[in-house]
Amino acid sequence: MAREKTWQGVIAVADLEAAWVTRVTFGPRNLAIYDTPSGIYVSLALCNHGGADLCDGYFDGHVIECPLHQGAFDVRDGKAVAAPATRQMKVFEARVEDGMVQIMV
Amino acid sequence: MAQAIVTPLTQALAEGKLSREELKEFMQRSDAPALRRLALWALMLAATTTLITLAWDSWLIWPAMFVQGVVLVHHFSLQHECVHYTVFRTRWLNELVGQVCGYTILLPHRFFRYEHCDHHTYTQLHGEDPELIPLPKTFGQYALYLSALPYWRNKFTEVFRHARGHLSEAELKFIPKEEHPAVFRDARLMLGFYGLVITVMALTGWWGLVWYWFIPLILGEPVMRFIRMTEHVGRPTVAQMSDNTRTSLVSAPWRFLCWNMNYHGEHHYVASVPFHALPRLHEVLKEHIHVEEGGYLGAHREIWRQIHANTRRGA
Repeated sequence: MAREKTWQGVIAVADLEAAWVTRVTFGPRNLAIYDTPSGIYVSLALCNHGGADLCDGYFDGHVIECPLHQGAFDVRDGKAVAAPATRQMKVFEARVEDGMVQIMV
Repeated sequence: MAQAIVTPLTQALAEGKLSREELKEFMQRSDAPALRRLALWALMLAATTTLITLAWDSWLIWPAMFVQGVVLVHHFSLQHECVHYTVFRTRWLNELVGQVCGYTILLPHRFFRYEHCDHHTYTQLHGEDPELIPLPKTFGQYALYLSALPYWRNKFTEVFRHARGHLSEAELKFIPKEEHPAVFRDARLMLGFYGLVITVMALTGWWGLVWYWFIPLILGEPVMRFIRMTEHVGRPTVAQMSDNTRTSLVSAPWRFLCWNMNYHGEHHYVASVPFHALPRLHEVLKEHIHVEEGGYLGAHREIWRQIHANTRRGA
């Protein structure tokens, strides 16, 4: 039977890079945590186009750009917003609770 | 756990050649530097266009068209920056300006983006880098490449192939399936645009654009071929970025024309860094990349040496 999803803490808000993207290893996953003007968002850290680490990319507002080919995604919903990225990236439902970024997994 | 692929950037960060703070600072985008440069660009184009007009009834029109051509072919450099979205912070401006450049030099922007992605992934790897320029085996091959005749033959073949709805085996590897129709549409639009321009000239009887645009483009392209050779030709055909790419130190006018793409090693290390930050990135990375102090000519002297050595070995 599939385990029910729960909120799990991944990093303290105080440890995030302000207005930028922070890399976090969480269990078997590499996550990218985004500090944006409208809150915290979380996605898988690897670009689904070329496999590079998005956490080394350029981050502006709500858009993360892959450092290898500059394909880009909106971190709020994972939608690809600039070629060569064409597929939606995996994002996680996220919230801040007691100073911790939590994701629903 | 899925691991990120190793890129020149991850290597540079892991080896301490570049700090994360430096990376963040270098990557910052802004519209202002490019808008200022574009204003100067427009003035430069106006000046070279005026030269052609002034030289219209004399043999001097040929050198004037050559100068115009050198400027026109450098729209490739600007388009290249736009492919990386690094010219402007405002993303759609990169797309718009990139398209304008592509229409100027017969290089569909979307196709170039996908081709260029694989150039960055597989730089200098035979059979995988779609932009690889092989080291000429003879001085005859070298001269033929610089004539730009093979370049134009490839470009026209490419655009017509796409307009017919076909891709080569190599192109099928780097253009995602969902983008095939868009690549075909782009090629048809571009051919339609050139067809329209020629038709309007025929109908009006004013063939000025042939002298202001088409002939200068053909005269100038060898200069761009000369410059493109300096980026990788003669460097080892290996994956290591510090070896396979060459930065050429050139004078300010050339840096202006090529949007600082002479800092090619730095660009390949961190393609997210905009043109205006490349000279500063050079100061950080210059000990870790191959730098040609003698500029474009120095790079070609090295290419000549290698061709000469290979020719003697083969004799």
